[in-house]
Amino acid sequence: MATEKVKIPKDLMDKVRRLSVLSGYASAEEFIIHCLEKEIAQVEESSSEDEIKKKLKGLGYLG
Amino acid sequence: MKDPRLSRREFMKTGCAAAALLAGAGKSLATKRPASRGPARRKVLVLGFDGLDPHLADIWMREGRLPAFRKLAALGGYRRLATSIPPQSPVAWSNFIAGTNPGGHGIFDFIHRDPKTYFPVFSAAETVESDKTLRLGNLVIPLKGGKVRNLRRGRAFWQVLEEGGVPATVFKMPANYPPVKSKQRTLSGMGTPDIYGNYNTFHFFTTESQAINEDVGGGEIHQVYVIGNRVDAKIPGPVNSFKKDRPVTAIDFKAYLDPSHPVAKISLPGRELILREKEWSDWVRLRFPMVPTQSVSGIARFYLKEVRPQFKLYLSSINLDPADPALPIATPASYAEELARRFGPFYTKGLPADTSALDNALLDEEEFLAQDEQVLEESRAMLDFELGRFDDGFLFFYISSTDQRQHMFWRLLDRRYPAYDEALAARFGDVIEKTYIQADVLLASALEKVGRDALVLAMSDHGFNPFVRGFNLNTWLKEAGYLAFKNPFKKEDLEIAFPSTDWSKSKAYGLGLNGLYINERGREAEGVVAPGAEKDNLVREICRRLEDYRDPKTGEAVVLRAYQARDVYSGSALENAPDIVLGFNRGYRISFKSPLGRVPREVMEDNLGKWSGDHMGAAEILPGILFANEPVLAEAPALYDLTATILDRFGLEKAPEMVGRTIF
Repeated sequence: MATEKVKIPKDLMDKVRRLSVLSGYASAEEFIIHCLEKEIAQVEESSSEDEIKKKLKGLGYLG
Repeated sequence: MKDPRLSRREFMKTGCAAAALLAGAGKSLATKRPASRGPARRKVLVLGFDGLDPHLADIWMREGRLPAFRKLAALGGYRRLATSIPPQSPVAWSNFIAGTNPGGHGIFDFIHRDPKTYFPVFSAAETVESDKTLRLGNLVIPLKGGKVRNLRRGRAFWQVLEEGGVPATVFKMPANYPPVKSKQRTLSGMGTPDIYGNYNTFHFFTTESQAINEDVGGGEIHQVYVIGNRVDAKIPGPVNSFKKDRPVTAIDFKAYLDPSHPVAKISLPGRELILREKEWSDWVRLRFPMVPTQSVSGIARFYLKEVRPQFKLYLSSINLDPADPALPIATPASYAEELARRFGPFYTKGLPADTSALDNALLDEEEFLAQDEQVLEESRAMLDFELGRFDDGFLFFYISSTDQRQHMFWRLLDRRYPAYDEALAARFGDVIEKTYIQADVLLASALEKVGRDALVLAMSDHGFNPFVRGFNLNTWLKEAGYLAFKNPFKKEDLEIAFPSTDWSKSKAYGLGLNGLYINERGREAEGVVAPGAEKDNLVREICRRLEDYRDPKTGEAVVLRAYQARDVYSGSALENAPDIVLGFNRGYRISFKSPLGRVPREVMEDNLGKWSGDHMGAAEILPGILFANEPVLAEAPALYDLTATILDRFGLEKAPEMVGRTIF
């Protein structure tokens, strides 16, 4: 696993620690990784949506 | 070096030998009809004029504008040709190719949906990327090539001809991308993508700021700057799948503007061209580098629209290069290369006319027509070439301009159109008539060249109707209580694939240009309607309500026929069939937004676009045409009857799944 230092505001980090325990994550790190993975998947999905839109719009029938 | 292609004689020998071999092994693929039915003509020519409409043809035949069609009607027969349900080109041409209704070939719309995601998907072809790759640093080297797969089911009739030893040439048959496996000469038609895998992607380079960043369908607008009479720009290429981060490839170019004349020099790697304002370039080959040993080649044409005060340079969709296609477009592959050797580069994209650029006012009517004339001219030259060597067997030839121009110019036929324009109508109101006359001239030339011994059929896949008002099916479903949003106060959702929909409370949804699906339990990811009686009752109820619905502005029925799939489809490829197919009334069509799963605020809207003629209506009001140089006995022939007719003419039995009957 690669190691990279990322600065997170203190307030947010406090929330992460608190919520990771409440949500049943093993650690704050695991919680952060999960959040990032979820967000990335969403972005990737929307770019595939864009791709389909782009392809279909050339049809003319869809304006 | 010997040409690797088979000569016609060799094809026949090989084909017959192969058929004989298989017959000897007790495994004949194509059954010969008994020889006792008399000598059949061994040449069949089919001219496919996309969208040629019988109502318009009748008017102009009566007025003596279409002498070749009239002559053919007098010589043999002229009929309305029953189209597919729905009358969309990929569906209709597939009926012809496979000789079945959509239940047999599995193409029900331009767009199908994935029931597990409610997401629109292409109906005609799918691309499967290579899953075996080798990573070397930043490079991803495919060890096994990806594939493009034609999703149409059933056998194409020229495959049956091949098994029967009948040589065929099939030029730009729609819905045949990638071309199905065959030794026959075939070139893929509608559905063949550009170099990006899209249906259309023009590029427009301009200094005009208001044109920038618009969400234009079918193209990209690029802002450029003139600095010291020079423009520096990039032509984006396909994604470089050899690299890990999949960057977009690009070719840099420069345009040098003449300081005193409306002229520019376009400087590309290895090539320079000089264009006057309003001038089209010849084909330009664009080679996008991938890795040191790999590049992708495309071809395109520039059009210098304006030099000053604003710089405007249009680049057509980058077509697959027929001399070196990155994707399969022909069988044998050498057929495209042969045509390229003889004619130079030519339009390979399925529908070459740039309706998107006209719709977005980046090309005007005259410029759009100038480009489509290039397409027609290319086709005419290739038809002459094919007729010149057509001594035996089957020849199909496709013309797209009849369809594309009716889509774009119908608005100038009638003052009631929202997009009617008096000045434009004075200049372009006769474009459709002139296009029919061009089709007539092409037919006359073909009749003269093909010889008297050939059976000639001139046909179209569907007719045309005005498209004045658009129907937002999903909005109607929401108002009628069949589709529900998660937030009940939300009024509209303009994102694709129903992100706001509460599927637990939704019974039906619309996707595609004519399709309506029930949110069926066990089939859809979050289906709620039980298959069987509950679903059947719901389908009947929705059909009735759709047919009862009236346009609040005109009082007219919007949906003339709501077809239940079970009544109109049969065959073994029913899994993607919509549950209900909407057959719109004359003047109506699905809106531009509804087909991808959007839910706009209003059910009905005016069509303000230039895309103004269409054919999404009820099949009963959109027949195509059929002209033959022999008397036609069938009173109401359909597209799949032509398939049976062609096979019958060569003494071959149709494939078991084919449903048509000969028209003679």
